[in-house]
Amino acid sequence: MAEVTLSNVRKSYGAVDIIHGIDLGITDGEFVVLVGPSGCGKSTLLRMIAGLETITGGEVKIGGRVVNDLDPKDRDIAMVFQNYALYPHMTVATNMGFSLEHRGGSKAEIAERVKWAADILGLAPLLDRYPRQLSGGQRQRVAMGRAIVRDPKVFLFDEPLSNLDAKLRVVMRGEIKSLHQRLKTTTIYVTHDQVEAMTMADKIVVLNGGRVEQIGAPLDLYDRPANQFVAGFIGSPSMNFLTGTITSEGFTAPGVMLPIPETALGHMGRKAVYGIRPEHFALDETGVPAEIVLVEPMGSETQVTMKLGETLVTGVFRERVSLSPGATIRMWPELNNIHLFAADDGQRLN
Amino acid sequence: MKAELSPRMQVFLYGLLCVLLVPFVFPTWWMVTSSVKPISDIFAFPPQLVPESYDWTTYSKVFELQPFVKQYWNSAYIAALVTVGTMVVSSMAGYAFARIRFPFANTIFMVVLLGLLIPSEVTIVPLFQMFLKAGMVNTHWPLILVPIFGAPSVFATFVMRQFFIALPAELEEAARVDGLGRFKIFRKIALPLARPALASVAIFTFLHSWNLYLEPIVFLSSADKFTLPQALTQYTDAYGGPMWNIQLAAATLTALPVLIVFIIAQKQFVEGLAHTGLKG
Repeated sequence: MAEVTLSNVRKSYGAVDIIHGIDLGITDGEFVVLVGPSGCGKSTLLRMIAGLETITGGEVKIGGRVVNDLDPKDRDIAMVFQNYALYPHMTVATNMGFSLEHRGGSKAEIAERVKWAADILGLAPLLDRYPRQLSGGQRQRVAMGRAIVRDPKVFLFDEPLSNLDAKLRVVMRGEIKSLHQRLKTTTIYVTHDQVEAMTMADKIVVLNGGRVEQIGAPLDLYDRPANQFVAGFIGSPSMNFLTGTITSEGFTAPGVMLPIPETALGHMGRKAVYGIRPEHFALDETGVPAEIVLVEPMGSETQVTMKLGETLVTGVFRERVSLSPGATIRMWPELNNIHLFAADDGQRLN
Repeated sequence: MKAELSPRMQVFLYGLLCVLLVPFVFPTWWMVTSSVKPISDIFAFPPQLVPESYDWTTYSKVFELQPFVKQYWNSAYIAALVTVGTMVVSSMAGYAFARIRFPFANTIFMVVLLGLLIPSEVTIVPLFQMFLKAGMVNTHWPLILVPIFGAPSVFATFVMRQFFIALPAELEEAARVDGLGRFKIFRKIALPLARPALASVAIFTFLHSWNLYLEPIVFLSSADKFTLPQALTQYTDAYGGPMWNIQLAAATLTALPVLIVFIIAQKQFVEGLAHTGLKG
């Protein structure tokens, strides 16, 4: 196990900068998720840590050792790839023991480690099969087995669940999380799925355009996003945004006046973006009116698309209210859960 | 889902296939049957599809008139060496062109491919002079070295390159993380996965070498060094006319290993060609 430190890490392809100087500290045993939209540089950053991409500038340290110029094999990392990358011509057991074999492990030691990993992941009955004879979930487990078998300092996961169906993804998410809790190996996990990030991470790093937007614990990012990008990216359904002006009476958005917290009063007269999560609307007869456009009952909650002033917003209500399109409901945004962002640079104001 | 063909359509299609089969099967049938016919029956009209009498002595005469066993061995070992050599050279070159980034890789590959456009008749004279200077004329070296580093190997390199290009890059990356260097990745990961392409390279290289005619008649002059295609032309009478039935018996014996190899390995051959994109 080891800590991982990135200091001003940069990556360019010719004149095009992909990663613009990232600083990140990952403590020993931490589960860090790099999350962001497609093309934000999260996989590139992971591959730079793995040694599969060269580093244009800055420094990558694993276990206190600078690894910039080391081959992947000398970094003591293990990686799980998006497409599993299992060797098709080798059995599950050979796949799992392959790296140990090439590091000079004895046959007995390899067999023991493979058995240990197979027992943890429930792969024991599959050891003699070939990858083509396995289901997607089983292949995923073998890829994980191959990673854990030689007890590396750091696990790197590159969108490992993106090829699985929704149900299996949830199962495997749990398995990866419990594997980490059992082994306590430092883990860096890349995903574009913010639900995966929220449920698995000790710490989330939100990336956008090759820059870090925010680093923090999942609930910190959820409760206090540093800017409009993070606010919109974290959370499902995503946060509602209304553009307007902060005034002494409240927040003036097109066609509606909304309440603001006291912390916003210092920004009087400023153009801003008003952010409110769908679950932070409270039904109240004295509240602001909203015209219902679409009702989507989910069972445990009801998702409602409605027109607040001139802006379409989404609300999530746990109450079993009877709502129908065209009707008007009244509600208040919860004052403690209102987020205000500057209209120009998107930075948090309150 | 594919639509089921009507019975009438199926009969028509099978009939058409049978007709199309004739030009491919008839020459082989004629060769095999004529090898046991008396010479007078070979060109009889209408042709005898099934011989009226069988003369098996033609096969023993094949071995009496020439050192046919030695010639058979010559063809076999030359073809084997050329096949192995081409597999080694083309798999390594194909891998390098597909996977290793080096300056002007594509340009160099195009230049290599140009070798396919030059007919062997154009290069045969300079090659003869070169091998003459090296003291290799009337030896088997030219028949081994020219294909390994010439057009057959270029074609094989193209086939292998197309295969390696399609190999997922993540496999190599996983191998790098697992601790393998470039050569071990090639040997332990890429090469075992390239078996279908290697099989097709092996088959067409073997066939090319087995059937090679121009180079042997230029480079070889002693009967005991001849290869089979060259030996076939030597079954002539005192006036230089072909001894048809004996020649066809020798041709049947010559074609036998090729047919066996193709029947055994035709699946790999088709798969290998499919990987190259040469087949639709």
